[in-house]
Amino acid sequence: MASTKTGLVLIHPGATEDPSSVVNAQEQARSEGVSVEAQFLINKINDGSVKLEDNHYDEVRYVTPEASDEIRFPSKLIGVIGKSLKTNGKLYGLSDLYKLDALINEFEISRSENHYCWIKKASIKAEPVAVPLRNHKKTTTPGTTTTAKKSLPIFKRATDNDSTKNKQQKQQHTGPARVSLDSEDEDEESEGSSDPSDSKSKFFEKSGSPLTENDSIEEDELVDENEMREPSLTMITCGKSKTRRRKACKDCTCGQKEIEEEELDGVRKQQDKVVKFSDQELTEIDFTVQGKKVGGCGSCTLGDAFRCSGCPYLGLPAFKPGQQIDLSSMGDDL
Amino acid sequence: MAVSRTSKKIAILYGSETGNSHDFAQILSFKLHRLHFTHTLSSLADYTPQDILSCRYLFIICSTTGQGELPRNVSERSHGSDRHNTIWSFLKKRNLPNDFLNHVSVAFLGLGDSSYPKFNYAIRMLHKRIVNQLGARELFDRLEADELSMEGSNKGTGTGIETVYFEYEKRILKFLTESFPHRKVDGQVLERQEIPEDVYLEPPSFLKLGSNEIESNEVMFEGDESVRRGKVVKNERITAQDHFQDVRQFVFSMEFEEKYYSADTVSIYPCNNDNSVNRFLELQPRWAEIADKPLEFTAGVPNELKDGGLVRPLTLRNLLKYHCDIASIPRTSFFMKVWAFATDVSRLEEGEEQLQQQREKLHQFATDQDMQDLYDYCNKPRRSILEVLQDFLSIDLPWKYALDYLPLIKPRYFSISSGPCDPNVELTIAIVKYRTMLRKIREGLCTNYLTSLVENDEIRYKVQNKNSFKKDEIRGKPAILVSPGVGLAPMMSVIRSNMFSDIHLFFGNRYMNSDFLYREQLESWNQQGKILLHTCFSRDRENSPNLKYVQDILWEMGETIFDLMVNKNAVLFLCGSSGKMPVQVRITLIEIIKKWGHFKNDEEAQSYLKKMEKENRYLQETW
Repeated sequence: MASTKTGLVLIHPGATEDPSSVVNAQEQARSEGVSVEAQFLINKINDGSVKLEDNHYDEVRYVTPEASDEIRFPSKLIGVIGKSLKTNGKLYGLSDLYKLDALINEFEISRSENHYCWIKKASIKAEPVAVPLRNHKKTTTPGTTTTAKKSLPIFKRATDNDSTKNKQQKQQHTGPARVSLDSEDEDEESEGSSDPSDSKSKFFEKSGSPLTENDSIEEDELVDENEMREPSLTMITCGKSKTRRRKACKDCTCGQKEIEEEELDGVRKQQDKVVKFSDQELTEIDFTVQGKKVGGCGSCTLGDAFRCSGCPYLGLPAFKPGQQIDLSSMGDDL
Repeated sequence: MAVSRTSKKIAILYGSETGNSHDFAQILSFKLHRLHFTHTLSSLADYTPQDILSCRYLFIICSTTGQGELPRNVSERSHGSDRHNTIWSFLKKRNLPNDFLNHVSVAFLGLGDSSYPKFNYAIRMLHKRIVNQLGARELFDRLEADELSMEGSNKGTGTGIETVYFEYEKRILKFLTESFPHRKVDGQVLERQEIPEDVYLEPPSFLKLGSNEIESNEVMFEGDESVRRGKVVKNERITAQDHFQDVRQFVFSMEFEEKYYSADTVSIYPCNNDNSVNRFLELQPRWAEIADKPLEFTAGVPNELKDGGLVRPLTLRNLLKYHCDIASIPRTSFFMKVWAFATDVSRLEEGEEQLQQQREKLHQFATDQDMQDLYDYCNKPRRSILEVLQDFLSIDLPWKYALDYLPLIKPRYFSISSGPCDPNVELTIAIVKYRTMLRKIREGLCTNYLTSLVENDEIRYKVQNKNSFKKDEIRGKPAILVSPGVGLAPMMSVIRSNMFSDIHLFFGNRYMNSDFLYREQLESWNQQGKILLHTCFSRDRENSPNLKYVQDILWEMGETIFDLMVNKNAVLFLCGSSGKMPVQVRITLIEIIKKWGHFKNDEEAQSYLKKMEKENRYLQETW
């Protein structure tokens, strides 16, 4: 996911009159981490004077001044652009007017968020046409062509087939799931429910009969013995490390625990040597009194975070020289 | 001042038992807010299940507890009446299609302890269901950390759980910032830049002075239908006065009848003592001025405060007493939020120089990835937030955000000792008191609170039904109960339940005459033949000359144990402190069935114990 993605901007001759629309497309691309490698007038491709490299682009944006339901686009170029896109590459700028071409050229139409685009799918061998045709009928009903935002995703079946192939999932995550989050920074509430919600929300509806145990999978059966043995990526086991971290494991056998206990004993002895008092006493520690020892660091008063490891005052709160340390205020003693 | 907002597109969900996962989730949340990634932060159980439909990026941090179980805040909502309606119970529904989560990209971090057989089981269950069965995409392979070892890694990935966490964080931040290098503000596209670290992120809702006067000073709790009020019936020390440990028999009457069975637990909501509250107010004089003034929230009560109900009247004093865990050990997320408030030079002897020194130190606690200094200063000596504030007088905390940076008091869980459904719930509680290098004795917040209670005092509680014993399967079978120390607590309930035909109780403690818990009761049951009592005392040579630990008695009685376990299908229930005891008991059992059974090697014996676990005949409750 580290490498930048390559993009291409294709321009309708009419769009040259409005340079800002082209700039916009470039910015859009950049905001999704795509670096635009080239831009061409669409007629250059149409007349064959520019040839596109196969399987090369992550994203192609078509900029046209035409309204989305009035676009006129040479159908044969859809295949050409399709070939130039990588799997899961995106094509922006066309509309549902050409969805049959999209289908034929193995695009999936994504309506996630306010991003309408076509996504180039890997070739599906099993009956590539049969499934979408069923959807086709549905989507040709009047009124659905331009108000696509809330409708069910077309060709959904095809994606379903994909996602059941678990092996493909890792590679896919750079694909369709990467909708722009940016828009949500503006106003989350306004976006409403987007595509997956519509088809999936039915599972949240309360069914008449109460949920019985049989309606749920058995949690204990999810992970089986063999999987428990499977090594995981970041198993961390005990061993001497190069880092600063020194802390005994719960079942320490390497001696660290003993070292810690010795340290604690050492601190206690130091404490007793210098400031001897019973735990129930309020005690005055006065630096002006001769014979009171202080640590070498000069940080005795500052608290444990600053004291040296041999400081006799370790374990006491920070205090002001010559003032009482009120130990009782911290709670009761034994 | 920047404002942190929430969004459903990104969700950070945690399942936490001891608080590590919660802390990491808070750190991740903090980092995402700094980068303007609005998101939801919640325990798995308190997450609104429907929100998963709007979720695109899901980050799950979850530990494993007990015998490969999910932490409580995965399976039980912290408040409200419908406590089992959680995202996890929803995702377990059989009728979900295998593409149900194909709109979600997910990344997992598991925290576990490899001394348990079902190491990191919880995250593996979540992973299996969410990715393999429901089609979510994984951003990267799940990470698993092992709490057992705090140092060293044989794979060079890091040193301890925090290192694994920071690796997790790194990958997430890299992915998000590369995928979304820009953000939109009022239609303008801006470069995504990090908010400077000394800018405080204002939470969505915080405290302000209220407009209405306080009507009544009676303390009440609102907003959690599931919390109950019990009355203390008995609170009695059952170990000898000169014994080092204070163990209580604690009985309270339920508000109204509720079903519970053996091995179920109750949670109790403790509070701070007035000393601690007053001390805090002394250390933060600006709070003291308005400690008893009525307050309200700017935008509603945050969800986290509803567990057990929000205190009324809402004042700083009451919040400090009933909600803010000022006696807890501060975690990284605490320092992340408060270090920049170290601004007050007036109380420092050495003036400006000392202020800089304190700021640097606090900043270091907040940001050091190996957490060594924080560990040495706070975790190791078990230093409380209160004590940190006493050491760092430069910290001048703004009270209005108190509930954003102070950790909240969580309920504590106790095994029930009374027989099933007894309206007088009996608990057996060891009072927590110990020494560290700090001069002050350390005390457990909840057990300290419980010791202060007298008859007729009121407590807040909830009952957790765990269904550990599937009654039909085990009724009439023999039982082997192994419970050194306060592990005896749930055994008392098991014995009272009359579920089993014959019961062997193995109890051990230090001295027969000082901490033989419920001695009279147990001996009388033994005489009646209700149980067969086997005891040992580890530091009492006079009364227990040959046997030190429960596993020693088990070994002595090996043949009988074998017969019970293998031939008579006994149920074995093991309870007590975690650590060496459960491991050694298990090893002993393996040796027993190897010696007296036809088990050739360790592996065969092991697999027999695993079979018992599968059949719910090997139960373990350790803490």
